[in-house]
This record gives sequence, structure tokens and C-alpha cells, in this order.
Amino acid sequence: MLRFLRARGAGDAAEDILQDVWLRIAKARSGPVDNPRAYLFRAANMTMIDRHRSQTQAAQRERDWSETRPAGSEPSPESGIAASQEMAKVLALVDRLGARTAAVLRRHRIDGLSQRQVADEMGVSLSTVESDLRTAYRAMLEWKERSDEA
Amino acid sequence: MQVDDTIREQAASWAAATGDPAFEDWDAFTLWLEQAPRHAEAYDRTVAAVGEGVAILAAATPANDAEPAMPAAPRRRWLGGVLAMGLAAFLGLAFWRQGAPDLYTVETAPGAMRIVELGAETSVAIAGGSRLTFDRNDPRFASLDHGRALFTVRHDEDAPFRVTAGEAQIVDVGTIFDVRLDDEAFSVAVSEGAVQFNPEAEEVHVAAGQVLSRTDDGYRIAPVDIAQVGDWREGRLSFEDETLAAVALELSRATGLTFAVDPASADRTITGSILVDPVRKDPASLGPLLGIAVTQASGAWVIGAR
Repeated sequence: MLRFLRARGAGDAAEDILQDVWLRIAKARSGPVDNPRAYLFRAANMTMIDRHRSQTQAAQRERDWSETRPAGSEPSPESGIAASQEMAKVLALVDRLGARTAAVLRRHRIDGLSQRQVADEMGVSLSTVESDLRTAYRAMLEWKERSDEA
Repeated sequence: MQVDDTIREQAASWAAATGDPAFEDWDAFTLWLEQAPRHAEAYDRTVAAVGEGVAILAAATPANDAEPAMPAAPRRRWLGGVLAMGLAAFLGLAFWRQGAPDLYTVETAPGAMRIVELGAETSVAIAGGSRLTFDRNDPRFASLDHGRALFTVRHDEDAPFRVTAGEAQIVDVGTIFDVRLDDEAFSVAVSEGAVQFNPEAEEVHVAAGQVLSRTDDGYRIAPVDIAQVGDWREGRLSFEDETLAAVALELSRATGLTFAVDPASADRTITGSILVDPVRKDPASLGPLLGIAVTQASGAWVIGAR
């Protein structure tokens, strides 16, 4: 488990993070677990995802803070329309994925169905669902990279 | 780049696989991560991007627009907790946090002008030397910290646009209005629709063609030429019974030059209208235009009574 956490980017903090993982499991656990090992890894992975998110948010706040103090020059372009523009970009991106891929993404990620359930419901193979999600995720990563550059 | 592309593809693939509750092959995932530190980075970036994108997608999709709901298949019980965590991690991504303000500030240099769009049909033109605060999570709010701004606001009965300026609150009633706040003046001029001023306290209705301004003993409402409201956007400044102190501030804001007032005549008032560009080129030309004295002293243009 420590090996996974280190590979996952936890570095020296791996042992502390493992503590967090245990706490988290203690809090969330509500019934018998039929694959404890996978369950543990999943919880550890979630902990790392949360960690990454709070770090990016802290960095974002840092940036916001410096944006409010323009260094003599014109303030950087910043506007409330940014959010709705991003929304339009995401919607366009999902449109471009095609109907099936978009439906797979929504059913799995918004409606919370497992990949197997999505495959059964739509009458496609599990590997089709996997490949659709891969395409969608890849497109979202590229969207995010572009929006961060801008 | 080829390498980056390969990693992106792999990261997307692992993000899709590990996002499924049924995923079990954590050893293979660990091995991939161990191959290069960049793998973990790419995976994190992908998961974060997808979380954000899906949160936007979910927020952008009206409930009745979604496909017919399918009865949720029974899930293994332990998944409840994990899914709750997972959903919090993925969907709860702080993009559309309602309630929690996410403020940002826009500041213009003197002599500059800027337009901030707040969604469809709502924009704020910001005069030079001004500062405003907006909320990323609430496009119907703005705070004028100091300076001047013209608000063109789409009226929405259910979500009125609110502007705070110092202690004052202005709520739109379908509107184009100009708000000004600095050391010398506070005013709200309306050119279209109306606003409610301080709805919690004085509750004054300011209609199109009226300007509300602060006086020593309260507020007063006076008529204003609609064409003059926000005319600073077209590079024109109009003064109606304004003190020279207030005029000096306006001129500094609009031209980017430094204007000061001769303390002896700071309270003298003038009425008039000028174009900003010619004044920027030749500040002395203000004299005959406004009937005032203009002198240059220690890097500033000093205006005063003749």
C-alpha cells in the first residue's frame, strides 16, 4: 500500500497519508466489503485525488490573490464571462464526442452507473464503454490544459 | 509531442479504469505509476480535469433534459460509502459552489477603460482608476470599491443585480446605470429602467433620467440628461454642478494625468462637458472650456477658480 502511495506521488508523506486513508475508511465504512484489498486501494486513490485537488485550489487562490494586486501594469484580462465560456467549451467538447460516447460519459459519471451497467443498458461491450470513456477523458484533459494556458 | 501524447492516452485510460467501482487491478496501475513520476502527474491532471468538466456538464444540464432515469441497479452495500466519497471527490469539484463567494478584483489604471462581461446581456464598463470586486459564483453581484462604472444589466426578477458601493446598496429594476464612488462624490445615475437604492434602509427609487448623489446631510435626487449617463465611455466627461475637487478626480481617472485642485477653490462648482482626448493632449485647454484656471506645478495640473 505504501508502495502504491509513493508511486502515486505521495513521496515522504506516504505514511501520513496512509493514516488518512484508514481514518477515511473508518468513517465511511457501513457494511461488509467483498474485496477489502481493492476497497483499500480505491480509498487510497481517492485520498490522493482529494489531496491533488486541494493543492491545485490553494495554488489557484494564490494566483487570485496576486491578480488583485496588479504590478503597475494593466490588470490581466479577467472576467465573469470566463465561467460561461468554459461551460460552452465543455458542452461543445461533449457534442464533438458523438452521441454514444457522450451518453456513456453522462450515465457513468453523472448518473453514477458502473461501466458494466452502462454497457448492459446500451447494449455495447464493456471494452467499448472503456474506450469511449478514454476518449472523453482525453478530450477533457486537453480542454483543461488549453484553458489553463489561456 | 509524441511522448506526452502517449502518456496522456495512458493516463486517460487509467483514469477511466480506476474510476469504476469494479476496478481491481491496482498492481498493474502501481507498476505503470512507478515507471515515471510524470505518470502520476498526468493521472492527477486527467482526473482533476474530468472532475471539473463533468461538474460543469452536470451543472449545464437541466434535470428535465437528461435521458429518462433508469432505476438504479442494486449496488453492493459497501459501495455506498465509497461512492459517496467518490462523488464528493469527482462531482463536488469546487466549480459551481453555490453560496461560497469566490471573489476577484478588476482594477483599471488611470486613463484606461475596460469592459467586463457578466454573462449574456450584462456588462460593466469600468472607467480608469477604478476598482471593482466580482464574484465568480454570483454573476449578479458587483462591488464598486472606488472609481466609476456603468452597469448594463439584464433584468431578472428572481435574481436582481446588486451593486454595493461603500455602505450603499443598489438593486436593479431593469437597467443601465452609472455608479461613482470616490473621496469626493457618491452618485448613481440611471439612463434606462430604474434602481432601488439601499432597499434595506432609505429605499429610494431612482428612475431613468435621475441622479442620486450624496450631500452633506443625506441624499438628493436631481434630473440628469440621459445621454450624459455613462458618456465617459465615449470619451466625454459631463459635469453638473460638480465641485472642482470632484472634477480633478474625474479628470485624473479619465486621462491618466495627475490633476489636483487649488485648495482655495475646492468647493467651487462648475457645469460643463468636455472631450477627454484633447484634454489629455493639452490640459491647459481646460481653462477656456470650463472657465477655470489651469496651472502646472510639480508634475500635476492644478485647476482652480479664475
